[in-house]
Formats: sequence, structure tokens, C-alpha cells
Amino acid sequence: MIDPITAEIVVHAISAIPNLIDKNITKTAFSPLVSEYKDYAVGIVDADGKLITQCKGGIPIFVANALSAAVRDGLEIYGKSGLQTGDIVITNHAGTMGQHLNNVVMYTPIRRSEGDDGLFGFMAIVMHWVDVGGIVVGSCLSNETTDVFQEGIQFHTVKLHSRGEPVEEMYRMITANTRFPHMVLGDLEAQIAGCLHGCTLVDELLDRYGADQVQGAVERYWDQSEAAVKRAIADIPNGTYEASSFLDNDGVHEDETVEVNVAVHVTNEGITVDLSGIGPEGSGPMNAGYEGGAVAASRIACKYFFSPDDPANDGAFRPIKVHCPPGRFLSAGPTAPLSGSGNMLPTVVDTILKALGAAVPEKVPAGHHGTYCLHVITGQLADDGGWFQHMESTIGGWGAWSDHDGVGPFRSIVHGDTMEVPVELQEANHPYRVDWVRLRADSGGAGKHRGGLGIEKCYTMLGPADVTAIIERTKCPPWGLDGGREGETGRIEIHRAGADCSEVLIKGSASLAVGDRALLFSGGGGGHGNPVERLTDSVAEDVRKGYVSRRAALKDYGWTELE
Amino acid sequence: MAVLVGSDIGGTFTDVVGYDSERATVVYGKRLTNRTDLAESVLSCLAEIDVAPSEIDLLKHGTTHIINTLLERSGARTALVTTTGFRDVLEIGRAGRPVAFRLDYDRPAPLIEREMRFEIDERIGADGSIVVPLDVVALDEIASRLKEAAVESVAVSFLNSFANPEHEMMAVERLRAALPEVYVTAGTELSREWFEYERTSTAAANAYIGPTATRYFDRFQQRLDGEDFTGRFYLMASNGGVLTADQAKRSPIALVESGPIGGCVGAAFFAERLGIESLIAFDMGGTTAKCALVEDGRFGVQPTYYVGGYDYGFPLRTPVLDIVEVGTGGGSIAHVVDERLLVGPRSAGSEPGPVSFRQGGVEPTVTDANVALDRISGNQFLRGALPLDRHGARAALDDRVGRPLGYEASTQTDTVAAGILALANAQMATAIKEITIERGRDVRDFVLFAFGGGGPLHAIDLARELHIPRVVVPPEPGNFSALGMLFSDARLDESFSLRHDLVDDASTRLMEEAEATTRALAKTLAEDFPTATQISEWQAELRFTGQRHSLKVSFSRNDTTDSVRRSFLDEYLRQYGHVDEAAPVEVIGVRVSVAAPTAVPEISEVHRIIGSGSPKPRENREVFSLAAACRMSTPVFSRDELPIGFEFDGPLILEEFGATTVVGPNESIAVGELGEIIVTLKGES
Repeated sequence: MIDPITAEIVVHAISAIPNLIDKNITKTAFSPLVSEYKDYAVGIVDADGKLITQCKGGIPIFVANALSAAVRDGLEIYGKSGLQTGDIVITNHAGTMGQHLNNVVMYTPIRRSEGDDGLFGFMAIVMHWVDVGGIVVGSCLSNETTDVFQEGIQFHTVKLHSRGEPVEEMYRMITANTRFPHMVLGDLEAQIAGCLHGCTLVDELLDRYGADQVQGAVERYWDQSEAAVKRAIADIPNGTYEASSFLDNDGVHEDETVEVNVAVHVTNEGITVDLSGIGPEGSGPMNAGYEGGAVAASRIACKYFFSPDDPANDGAFRPIKVHCPPGRFLSAGPTAPLSGSGNMLPTVVDTILKALGAAVPEKVPAGHHGTYCLHVITGQLADDGGWFQHMESTIGGWGAWSDHDGVGPFRSIVHGDTMEVPVELQEANHPYRVDWVRLRADSGGAGKHRGGLGIEKCYTMLGPADVTAIIERTKCPPWGLDGGREGETGRIEIHRAGADCSEVLIKGSASLAVGDRALLFSGGGGGHGNPVERLTDSVAEDVRKGYVSRRAALKDYGWTELE
Repeated sequence: MAVLVGSDIGGTFTDVVGYDSERATVVYGKRLTNRTDLAESVLSCLAEIDVAPSEIDLLKHGTTHIINTLLERSGARTALVTTTGFRDVLEIGRAGRPVAFRLDYDRPAPLIEREMRFEIDERIGADGSIVVPLDVVALDEIASRLKEAAVESVAVSFLNSFANPEHEMMAVERLRAALPEVYVTAGTELSREWFEYERTSTAAANAYIGPTATRYFDRFQQRLDGEDFTGRFYLMASNGGVLTADQAKRSPIALVESGPIGGCVGAAFFAERLGIESLIAFDMGGTTAKCALVEDGRFGVQPTYYVGGYDYGFPLRTPVLDIVEVGTGGGSIAHVVDERLLVGPRSAGSEPGPVSFRQGGVEPTVTDANVALDRISGNQFLRGALPLDRHGARAALDDRVGRPLGYEASTQTDTVAAGILALANAQMATAIKEITIERGRDVRDFVLFAFGGGGPLHAIDLARELHIPRVVVPPEPGNFSALGMLFSDARLDESFSLRHDLVDDASTRLMEEAEATTRALAKTLAEDFPTATQISEWQAELRFTGQRHSLKVSFSRNDTTDSVRRSFLDEYLRQYGHVDEAAPVEVIGVRVSVAAPTAVPEISEVHRIIGSGSPKPRENREVFSLAAACRMSTPVFSRDELPIGFEFDGPLILEEFGATTVVGPNESIAVGELGEIIVTLKGES
């Protein structure tokens, strides 16, 4: 039995490890997706695959369970004794992970001895590889794939290193199956270095305190996290709470919306997120598997609500049950196309929160812009013919609260500390000029408390390029609450040089010539409360600052100039 | 008399150190800070140590005025003039959400609100070319609107100006002419690096604090002049150098971390003199602990500083000493939440302070744990000026920590107090690991250099935890920030973005750029520090082509493209443990630093040793040893009675004004040539 103070010291020390590794990865990675977008996560899982702790940074989508799901599959395949010191295993298997194939989990065992009992756990890192093959550059940016085989290569739990020795065959496989071998191998090195370094740090901790004491501290920590989440759940009255929304389409059948009906059951024991009412597995890439879809969305929503500050861990997940039968778009089969696996999550998470809001309205804001609003500009550079790619998920407005305006612009609710790429960096690397990036007036839903604003951005091409958009939530705009209005939705307008008319892109592509412009508009957050109840001073201030136009103030807020 | 003075204004105390170079004596003063009149704090402190301003040759001053103005948002009425299409850069920022799972997370409001941000037609291309000329007619119109709006200060920041500052310079000149009473600053006057948000935020902050900082420096100078001060008045900048008041008025943001770095400057000076290649400067005060690396007598500088911290703050592009800070200090409160022990970041500060201070504090702190274990003497604190309530500290530990965690009250108080210190040490150890591991260093290769009120109290247990074999405690650890300031050079740093492949004659281009910048900085420095010899340092910012993050590598006139490349590969390997020898490398920036030494004290004269022969302990106390996990009879010495060359085996305690050094049973000490205490940890070599 470990004493409570030593337990706290051990938990502090082990929780610090993924954060230290996290920072090194940011510095050594090659691709902007890793270093700027932070599309990765670092964690430690135990010998049975249970998550001990995970880094604070990294994007929320990975708190779900990517690391545990991968390790459990490895344990099933190799058994404990088949995973020895110096082994490095990778997997992106759709049937296990249920997210787009770019997300590759890598892990290495942390061992005290060779036997089954000598396995303490694993150092694990999931990272978005920029390209794993498939029909489009970047693998995950198509609106049109119809099975997973069109989306790239799968590594189903294979050893990249065996007892410290690189498996050269695997390196040849990887190199031959990506369009950006230099970048992928660079990121891969960062991923390996992180796993090994983390393993050493955990080892030092085990030397110092002994594996039994560390295990004891971890068990205690899990119990405490579980108890803390249960206490937070106890603040919500028992009952079933429901909410509905829908997605624009599955990417292939443009006119068929996809239902998102969510029920949340709250009892003394915990919470069950019931996603059986969501639409079926789609024929296009807007699918995810059970772990990467249903579990991820439910756990993200619950973490926002019940344990925002602690590192993700197995104990905090225990009171949260997920129900989603196979064949839904968040529990798609192993061969379903899923390159757009993340695109639905902002809406699903928002809808789960909306359901909880029925119980505790003061704790839930109106809907946020709710989409990655992804757009990609690709082309060849004039000087050396090399490819360039600018990929951006767009920031937009978040929903208003019962007592204050919505925040933003930020990326979606499943993004975290993901930085905007500076315009100066974009212009230095890509053949286009950005003419403005500004707040989009009137995009926040009107209300007693106004929704946060989206943005407007203008790209003017200095060389030819293709632009692809994957934008959601244009048919089910960010909802208002309690009489608040909806936020504006997003779109891209293509303005051809010298032409008067424009074409609109929601999900689709266009080729741009020199002088053509792509105008991006992102959505705003929903409003809260009846707009006519908004304080006239606040309306006047919004008008003065240009967040709300004079016209909209008169129309939506019943404002009169005299005030 | 010729006196050199260092003065450090902190949140709680104002410290002054005076060094009389003729008599080779040092005097130290400490007073509560007068928040409404900071100059008065320094002057009254000088009076306390009997130094008249007329005797002072050189006054170096560190201040919290700048950071406080930014944190309290008490700066000037400020406007921004920026490129059409980009007035929201300041409001949108980089749009990250560092506290990812807080549903209501929001970034700080911009320093300049939207209606005070004016757009003007002009455009520089990414390559520095002029795409749209500056609309000077519109600029004049903006100037008259600024006048109407009665702004006190204006920031100018244009897109891509890092590649060509011409438009910013034109705009600044015109605005200064039109608005002579208004403070005007341009982004590129402060930073020549790319990233529009960071540069605009820097310009906005500089403009925001410019008018109040100017008044502060002027008033300080007037007060000194009024007391017949004829010496030089310098201000401590965040890069570890000093600036003249005129320089500080132009870029007050350079003083954003003015106070805390004095100690690091002092640490670097001691390191050089003692021949210590690698040390960690560890400064533990009342609310936080800070650490910084000093290698080869130099400390690192971080390019981006966040006012108010990364999670909820905004960035400044100004060179600040590379410090990692953790919210663990003597005042950190130990408390139990849901059966878990927490130490900090909540602090009892100086009000109400630790329980043992008897000033109304009821929650036990790290200091109380030290008092409870008799590591700090109840009647020797600040030479007995503040008698400590040992009994109250132990009772608070029992009530607030022991019982809630299920410990038997009164019989296990020592265990609980020791546990609090162990957790505090674990937290500080993480900060030290962060600063070493992140930079690819092995912590065991360093000497731990401990100062601040709590540094020497915790450093040796920390060193044990980190397997660091040697700890050095300098003279006057409790006043070390003010003392260290006395050793600072005058220093100017400049860095700018520059992008080309590191091939062929790239090093020639690097050198041309560095030479030009060095000449410009040297000229500026020479105007204010005419007699001093200058030392310049160059660094190239390099990365593997395509990689996102870069490393800084020193270079000189003797380098070639190949040797610069070699240095980069070596440093990369050192930091990250692997390197691709064949990969192409590119230059993305150059950093130039020019320093001019100022008059400094003779370092061997700053200690206060009065002892000789073989001193006797003033008492033997039963002190709890963290290493032995029990109480041990421990000799207690008065530090100033230990002569140079004195050696002794632990356990022992050294007491002095403002600090206590606790040495465990497996350590020994020696008093070094500069009066420093060298602690050797057995079994950690």
C-alpha cells in the first residue's frame, strides 16, 4: 500500500513525462501538421492497454482512446511476451483505430524483465503522417472515396524495430507508399525518438520507486479521477436528455442530410452517451470506426464537461459508457471509407453538449461554427516545379452563453492549441497573396448575448493552383438557444479575374488561374436569448466596433440610432 | 566615494546593493516596496544603507513597472495603424486554445480595441518589393483623427515589413511630425522577424507602455538629480544587459522581465570566475521558483515572451532571458482537495503570509513545513527580527493536511511536513528537467547554483533528486538579484529574418548581414557607453530545409559555410540525439548581440565573511533530514563566521540574513575563494 504523499509525487512525475516528450516532438517534426497543427498526442498506457496519462497539448480528438486501442490490438496479436524492450510497433489499421489512415500510433514496451510480469506498460505516440498514399495528395482530403483501400496503405500492428534493430523492410514499405517520403521519415524519426526517450524517463521512475509502488500510485490516481468525474456527473439530475442536429451530406450524395440524434442517460452510476440514433454508415468518406468515432466524440464532450483540467486517463473514462451499434457513421465497418473521419465530430460533440444543456442550461453555450471548414490550396511552384500545399482548417465563431457573448474566432471544438499559420509565412512559401483576414461582421447569431464572429479571408493567386473545400454545417447552421438566432454558415467563393460572377464551393474543388480569388467566409456562433433584450449599450458598442452592422442592429436588435 | 548601486524593485520588497570600490565594502538594504512611488522605494532604501545619491557613480535599476502596467492594463490610450485588410490581426492572434478543454476559454482582449485600429493602403510583398505604395494623404487624415481622439500613443505595424521596413519608417516619421506630443513606435524598430501577429503585438505593447514608462524614467532621473546625483543611471533589460534611460524610453518592452534576471547575470559572472562550464541558476522566492541554464558563462535568450503566461497571455518579440518558472515558492500553500495533496500554485504571499509569520495566515505553506521540521530556526529568521510560530505551523499542518489525508495528527507531523517538501521539490525538479531535457542537455552535467530566499534551503535535496553532484551557494543568496545586477554589461540584441540555403558562399552573406547589424548596434551603443570596449556575438538561426523549428548556432568571421553547417549538425545531434548528416540546411535568421562592459565590483569582495580559524557551531539542533527520513542532531553555523577554505561534513545548517542552507548527512561543504559555499553530494559524481 502506497502512502498518499508518495503517490502524489509519483503521479506528478509520471504525468510530466508525456509533456516533456510533447515539446521535443514539436521541435523535431518536419511537417507543419505536427509542429504547428499539433496533430499528435503522447501518452503512457499500462501493460493491459489502459491509459495512465496523456500530454496536455496535442489535439482533443486523440484523448479518445487512440493509444489504448492500438496497444490492445498489439497485445492480442503478439501477447505480452511477444513485445520486448527495443520493439517499436506501428498501426493505423482502420478496423482497430477507426480514424483516417494518416493517424499512425507508435508504441514501445517499458519492461523490467522479459516475462509477462516484467511488462510495466508502453510509451505511445499517435501522429498524423502527411501522406500514406491513396487517391489524393495528403490521403485524407477527398470528398469522394468509397472504400478504405482508396485512402492509403494500412499498417496493421507491425514492428518497425525489433529488439532495438530497425526492420529495413518496413522502412522500404513506408518510403514507397508516401508522396512525401522526406517529411514522413522526418516525422517518423521524431516519433521514434519520443517513444524511446519517454521509455527511458519512465524507466528511471521505476528504478527510483519500484514498479509496484508506481502501479499503486497509478491505481489510486485512476480511482480519484473516476470519483472526481462521478462527483461532476452527480451535479446533473438523473434522467435522459436528447438533442438533434444533422450533417449536410456524406460527401457523395450531396442532397441527403445525415441525422445526428443523441441521447444522454444520466444515473447515479455514471453517464451513457447513446448514439444509436445517428445516421447510417455513408458511402463517402465521412465515416469513422467505433473507437475513432463514437467513443472519441463521447469522451471529448464528456471531458469538456466533467474533467477539463486533468490529463486524460483511464479512470476518468470509467463512468462514461458509449452506445453505438455497428453500421452507423461513427461505427463504420473496417473497409468503409473514412478519410474524413474527423469532419463530423465537431457537430456530434456540439450535439452531445446541447443534450446536456437540457439538464444544466447555464453550463452549455449555443452551437459553434461546428466544422473544420477545411480548405487546401495545392499546385506546382514556378521555379523548380516542386509541389506546395497549404491546408487550413478555418477558425470561426463559438456560441453565446446565458451570461456572456460567444468567444472566438477559434477552430472547432475538437481542435486544441492549433496555431494559425502567419500570413507572412504563407506568402513566403506559396504563390498567392492574402488581401485580408478580418472578422466577419454580422456572422455571430443575434441574441441577448451575441454569438462569436467568423472570419473573411481573401487569397489572390499569383500562380495557378487547385483549391479544395470540405465545409460542413451549411444546412444546419450553428444553433441559437433560448430565443437567440443562428450564426452564419461558411463557404468559399471563387471570383475569376475579370469576371463579374462567382461560384460557391462547399464540398468540392476548383482550378484557379493567376489573378483569380478565393474568398473564404467562416461561420459564426449561435446567439443566446432574445436579441431585443440585448443591452442597448452593448448593441451600440458592437456597431461602433463593426462587429454588427448598423443595418443588422436595426433589423435584428430593434436598435434605433437615437440610442 | 565611488559607489556602484544595484536596485531591484520587486512586488513585495525593494532591494538595494551598494558596492564601495574604494573601501571594497558591500552594503545591502531591503524595504517594503512603495507601490505608488517606486523611485521613493529606492531612495529610502539608499538612505537606510547610508549611501547618498551624490556618492553614486553608477546606478543600475531593475523594475516591475513595465510588466505591472501590462498586466494591470494601466497603459496609455493607444492606437494602431496597419495595412488595409489586417486590423484584426491583433484581435484574432494565432487563434490557439492552450487550455483546450475549457469550453469558455477566451484569449485576452487586445491592448488596442477595434475602433482604435486604423487601416491604411500600402502593401509590401513577401520578397520586400513594394506592391502598393503608402498612401500618405490618407495617413495625414488618420493623423488628424488620432489628434481628435486624443490618443497618447501610436503603434505602426505593416504586413511583411520585416522584409522591407521602408513604409513603416515613412509612416512613423510623418506621424511623429504631425503629432509631436504623441509616443510613436513601429514594429520593425523592435523586431525584424516575420510573423505579423507577434510583431504587431510587440508594437502595440511598446506603444501602450511608452508614455507611462517615459514618465517613470524621467521622474526617477529628476528625483536623483534633486539629490545631487551626477552618476550614470542605467536600466536593467530582460536580455541581461543594461540600457540608458533614452534607450529604455524608445523600447520599454525590453524591460519586461527587468528584475528577476539580475540573479542570472550574477550566476554567469560567478560561473566564469569559478571555471564552471555548465550551471543551472536556481532562484526560489516566495511565490515561484525559476531556473535558467548558464553555459560557458552565457545564458540563453528566448525570442518570444508571453505577458501573463502562454495560456492566457499575449506575445512580445523581445529578447528575454530563457527562464522556466514554476509556481512553487516558500509561500506556496499545501492543501488537500478530494484526498489529493496539492502544493501551490496558490501562494500566501507576504499577505497574509505563512502561518508561522503570525500575520493572519491560516493555511500551511512550504515555509511552514520547513519551520515545522526545524530546518528554519524559529528565532533566527531575518536575524531574529521576525520570530516564527513553530507551534502554529505544526498545528496547521496537522489540521489542514495531515488529518484530511488520514495521518495520525501530532505523531506524524514530521512525515506530513517532509511529504510537502518532497512534493514541492518534485515540482521544481520537473521545471529543471524541462529546461535541460528540452534543450537536449543531461542535468547531471550541471552544477546547481542556488539563490533566492528558498534556493539554498531546497537545492541540495533537489540536486539529490536530479543526481546533480555539486551545489554552489553564492554570497548573499537572499539579495542575489540586486547583487547580480551590478555585474551586467550594456547590451543590445537584434535579430532579423533572412532566408536562403546554407550552400556555396552562404556564410559570406551571413557575415555581411551580421557585420552590418553589428556596426549599427555598435554605433548606438558607443553613443551612450563611449569608453567601453565592445564584444559582439553572432548566431545564425538554421534548420533542415522543410523542418519547421530552428536552432541557433554561433558563428564568427573565421567560419565557412561548411563549418557553420558542421556546428548545426553537432548541435542538432546534441539536442535531439539523432541527425541526418546528408540533409540540406537553410538559414532563416541572424541574431547579433553587442555588449559593452560597465564598471563592476571586484567579485572576491562581495562576501561578508568575518570569521577565521575554526569556527564553532552556534548550536546543535534536532533537524529533520529528508534524505534520512528522520531527525538528526545538526550543527548550526553562522555563515559569515566560516572562513575561506573551511570544510565540514553534513549534516549541517548555515544561517545568514535572508537565507538558510540545509546540508544533509551525505554531503560535505567547503567555503570557496569567492566566499561561495560548495556542497558536494557523495555518490553522485
